[in-house]
Amino acid sequence: MRQQIDWVGFVLNNFIWFVLLATLILFAIAIPDYFTFSNVVNILITASVLGVLVIGQSLVLIARKLDLSAEGTLSLVTVLAAYIMLPFRDFTAGQAGGNGWELNPVIVVPIILALGAFIGFINGVLIMQFKMNFFIVTLAMQLVLRGAALVISEGAIMPGTPDAFNWLGSGRLLDIIPVSVVTTLAMYLVFSYLMSSSRFGREVYAVGANEEAARAAGFNPTRTVIIVYTLSGLLAAFAGWMLLGRLTSSVPNLGAGYTLNVVAAAVIGGVSLKGGEGSIIGAFAGVLLLAMINNALNLMDVNPFWVNAVRGVIILIALIIDALKTRYKRRAPLVRPSASAPPLEPKRT
Amino acid sequence: MANTLISDAPVIISMRGVTKTYPGVVALADADFDVRRGEIHGLVGKNGAGKSTLMGVLMGIRQPDAGVVTVDGSEIKHLTPQLMGNLGVAYVPQHVKMLNTLTVAENVLAGNLPKNGLGIVDWRAVYQDSQDRLGKLGLNIDVRKTVEGLSLAEQTMLAIAKALFSNARMIILDEPTAVLPRKDKNLLFGFVRSLKAQDVAFVYISHHLEEIFEICDRVTIMRDGRIIETRAVAEITVPELIRGMVGETVGEFQRDPSLTNEEVLRVDTLSRRGSYEEVSFSVRRGEVVGLCGLQGSGVGELAKALFGLERRGVGEVYIDGKPLTAETPREALDQGVAYLPDDRHKLGMVGLRPLRENVTYSVLERMTRGLGIVSRGTERPLVQGYIDKLGIVTPGQEQKANLLSGGNQQKVVFARLAATQPKVLMLHEPTQGVDVRAKVDIFNIVTDLSKQGVGIVIVSSEVRELVGLCDRILVMYQGKIIAEFTRANADMKPEDILLAIEGGAYAPAN
Amino acid sequence: MSQGVLNRLFSAIIDNLIWVFVVIAFIAFSLLSDAFLTPFSIGNILLRIATLGLLVLSQSYTFITGNFDLSVESTLAFVAMVAGLLLVSDVAGGLGIMLPINIVIPIMLVIGALIGLFNGFLITKVGVNNLIVTIAMLFILRGATYGISPGTSISFGGEEFAAFTWLGGGTLARFSFENVRGNLVIPVAGVFVILAFIIAYIHTRYTQFGRNMYAIGADAEVARASGINVDRTLIIVYMIAGVCAALAGLISAGRLQTATPTMGDGVIFSVHAAAIIGGMSIYGGRGNVLGAFGGVLLWSILDNGLNIMGVSPFWIEVSRGGLLLFSIAIDALRVRYQRRVALRQSLAESTIGLQDARAGA
Repeated sequence: MRQQIDWVGFVLNNFIWFVLLATLILFAIAIPDYFTFSNVVNILITASVLGVLVIGQSLVLIARKLDLSAEGTLSLVTVLAAYIMLPFRDFTAGQAGGNGWELNPVIVVPIILALGAFIGFINGVLIMQFKMNFFIVTLAMQLVLRGAALVISEGAIMPGTPDAFNWLGSGRLLDIIPVSVVTTLAMYLVFSYLMSSSRFGREVYAVGANEEAARAAGFNPTRTVIIVYTLSGLLAAFAGWMLLGRLTSSVPNLGAGYTLNVVAAAVIGGVSLKGGEGSIIGAFAGVLLLAMINNALNLMDVNPFWVNAVRGVIILIALIIDALKTRYKRRAPLVRPSASAPPLEPKRT
Repeated sequence: MANTLISDAPVIISMRGVTKTYPGVVALADADFDVRRGEIHGLVGKNGAGKSTLMGVLMGIRQPDAGVVTVDGSEIKHLTPQLMGNLGVAYVPQHVKMLNTLTVAENVLAGNLPKNGLGIVDWRAVYQDSQDRLGKLGLNIDVRKTVEGLSLAEQTMLAIAKALFSNARMIILDEPTAVLPRKDKNLLFGFVRSLKAQDVAFVYISHHLEEIFEICDRVTIMRDGRIIETRAVAEITVPELIRGMVGETVGEFQRDPSLTNEEVLRVDTLSRRGSYEEVSFSVRRGEVVGLCGLQGSGVGELAKALFGLERRGVGEVYIDGKPLTAETPREALDQGVAYLPDDRHKLGMVGLRPLRENVTYSVLERMTRGLGIVSRGTERPLVQGYIDKLGIVTPGQEQKANLLSGGNQQKVVFARLAATQPKVLMLHEPTQGVDVRAKVDIFNIVTDLSKQGVGIVIVSSEVRELVGLCDRILVMYQGKIIAEFTRANADMKPEDILLAIEGGAYAPAN
Repeated sequence: MSQGVLNRLFSAIIDNLIWVFVVIAFIAFSLLSDAFLTPFSIGNILLRIATLGLLVLSQSYTFITGNFDLSVESTLAFVAMVAGLLLVSDVAGGLGIMLPINIVIPIMLVIGALIGLFNGFLITKVGVNNLIVTIAMLFILRGATYGISPGTSISFGGEEFAAFTWLGGGTLARFSFENVRGNLVIPVAGVFVILAFIIAYIHTRYTQFGRNMYAIGADAEVARASGINVDRTLIIVYMIAGVCAALAGLISAGRLQTATPTMGDGVIFSVHAAAIIGGMSIYGGRGNVLGAFGGVLLWSILDNGLNIMGVSPFWIEVSRGGLLLFSIAIDALRVRYQRRVALRQSLAESTIGLQDARAGA
């Protein structure tokens, strides 16, 4: 039997790694001090928070959905954590303290992780149980979360989070290796293994690719998607913990605009917007690529605001490629049949 | 092939010797067919007989490989949908597609609304115009209603009206009554008759033979891609019609029976409003029972309901004497019931994923170690076993399911279900879209499974196949079981069965 | 009452529910706060409906066809920033070319149209999902706005810009009433938006193009089969949306008398909520532009009323999200109800299972 190797598909699917390598080489040559240890660590640090968010979003994307509220969860979680950890201080010059509870980080971390999971859970229930449109639900949830974050923070920066809390975001192992990088890498390994080798992973891919067939095969799509959204929320909270730990100050409106970069990284890495395809490892490549480009633009001293626009263009290109890839893969007819034509295959009744 | 002329009405469209083949399949062979002005020309034949290919040629979406198509006497060399549409051929599907959120009036005049002197839409004229136009056809629908709010019959009639407004002279009605309640059917027929009086021609495709006799002037019988004959309805009898549809040859495959006496499935007065009523039957271990009926008879719904894909309704079902409580597919599989869907692309398999995953979806619990990690070491041999046993042709286990051929895809779904070791297996159109060689393989699979003691229910419209495979065949019509045929009684004759299926009213007294 | 009449009554109520809410809200706030029914407050409402209104108008156009356009808030900012650069001296942050106002305004509209053209092209000809394209443009344009902006915000305060700021900040008329404090200021922007909505209503209800939009929203394939040029219509719809966004930018710049990179940031949620509350459906083919205007009115009344009552602006944000969710739920329910009507009818007429009179069978 002739091996039917889908060359085009293979290249398209693993394209990202070629691009990553090529970009690395290009930048290493063109930009001085790019390929140094400290700069590479820098890239990885920038990539780590986004990286955690990308895991969550990739799960949701593979299930053929979208989570627009993750950045809202991140924002709320950072504000809330600061609020309950910091001592009370009057609002002066745009800075404020917490509410004076001064809770121990050991308690705060589980609280915020649980909150993130809960938000994700609500999303999942609204979407699957109440059958509401996932885009609008997560969009509205985003609004609510941001609003809540603004209410709590009152628009103020809350600096000075405790060291124990900051360890995830700012700590270093052996004084060199950032904890955040190691953690993110570990999470990628864990989730990559989970998605590729566990029953749950199979479920998510099946549900994303063909929800009806998945149900007929004995899966429970409702439960699967709810779990996926819960994980997304949990990971968003985790990312919040990491980010707050790195900044050591809660900033109002944190994470605004992250969603598109997160989706872009995943899409660039091979996760399809139509669900059922892509890998967590591939998404990681996408994160690395974006972080590398970001870093390069920084080193080249490009106006930081243009960076956003450039990123947007890259995103757009990634999305166009994804659309074309989808068309190729699903062999969607480019010639549309007329509305009044009989079905192309004889149907049996 | 006697072509009895019933009138001197001019021929609108005719084909002579039209042939259409696809790789490995002859869809249409040497077909002669014509439609005259003002006639209602019935078209009957089992599924797969070639009706849709024939219609495809009429509509210009299928190019014949041989033969001549003439319209109004002139030959058409190159068929296109636009051309045939301009020449007056229109198609009304079973589920009409309209602009549902807009009013009837806008649907009628879509794209070309009447405007006043200033160039803006004159709504009064929109409603008046459309009402007039529909009225001229004898159709009295409230044009201000949105199409969503219309009954299905009204939507079908509206679709017919729309076709006529686009200057259609000949309208193909594709099984319109299958989804209509009885009283609406009369409404539709009245409308069609009034249009016939205005010289509109219809090709009426239906499985309900009594309708053919009720409304058609002529009827064409198709079988295996050939036109068997075309005759005036007044000059043909129901048995002759059936014989034409079924043919003389018996199916080649004959299954070795392996009946036991243990009952594995018992259905007791199962009823669901709108789908089926007081259905009772039983299946024994090793027995193969066929279930046939037209769309709307309830066979498909019954199978899905027993599997938990749809609501079951009231009544009892027992598996091995224990009540079946399954309300989801997962529960059904756990309780020993498996179902092969009729639409494998939508329900049967996940096309984007590899073959290996598709085979094991339903039995993953059996190969997971702690933390839900799937053991490839257990999975691979299991999948390979099925590949070998069922003869699945594939470059490897990782091949994406939608890249396999139809027959192999079906085998993959079979494998998935067989892996669950079901007590009862329901197959819904198992040979649809499957090539001949794979069909034989599937028959063998069914035989093997029955030998292993699985109770098998096959929902199918392929009567000849069923006769070869089944120990018993049940026929449903409008939600009820109306006939039963048993191999033991030697009364499983395809003609009788088809008669019962397609003309429930003509079912032989049982 | 027959089923058909009942259905139509229900539809009519649901479709025009917004006006009921508007009236209720108006009365409620008037009762709740003395400061609400004053000329100042009313004038404020008229101002608020301006920017929001034009953006809602652009969304309505795309919603009718069953599509999203999330880029409009960024188009607003981008266009305003470009205008600033072209109009203002280099000392004040601009490019220094100081083009005349009557050239700059058309340029703004053209840019809006071009952005819409780009969106429409990607969606129809390349086949990228409309949600995704316009989200991407949302961020690209915002980034570009930041990128081209000078360090400080550009000001249009001077006399020389009066013509430019007239649309957004100008006053059409001023009324004073006896015994009532303050004057009722009728802003040009408010009147402009009302006129825009009226024109849009006429356009969508009384022109072939407008009806084609609805047809596409109902079923694009059937519309195509009816001879409607779907791709061309969609591209034009997106261009209209772009021009409306540009007008919103002009009005914003005129009202605030500045151009900053953060203009309109985050307003897209309010825009969606107002449109959907006003009867637009994300599924396409439903709703009318006047209803959307009702949504804008309601939103502005709520905004103004809650502000006057001293509710923290942050809580207003939260409640907005809730309102958006609520309106989506209503939208989904309404559409599902409409679709189920026919099904229930045919089920009721089915003869199968009549013998079994047990409920739920």
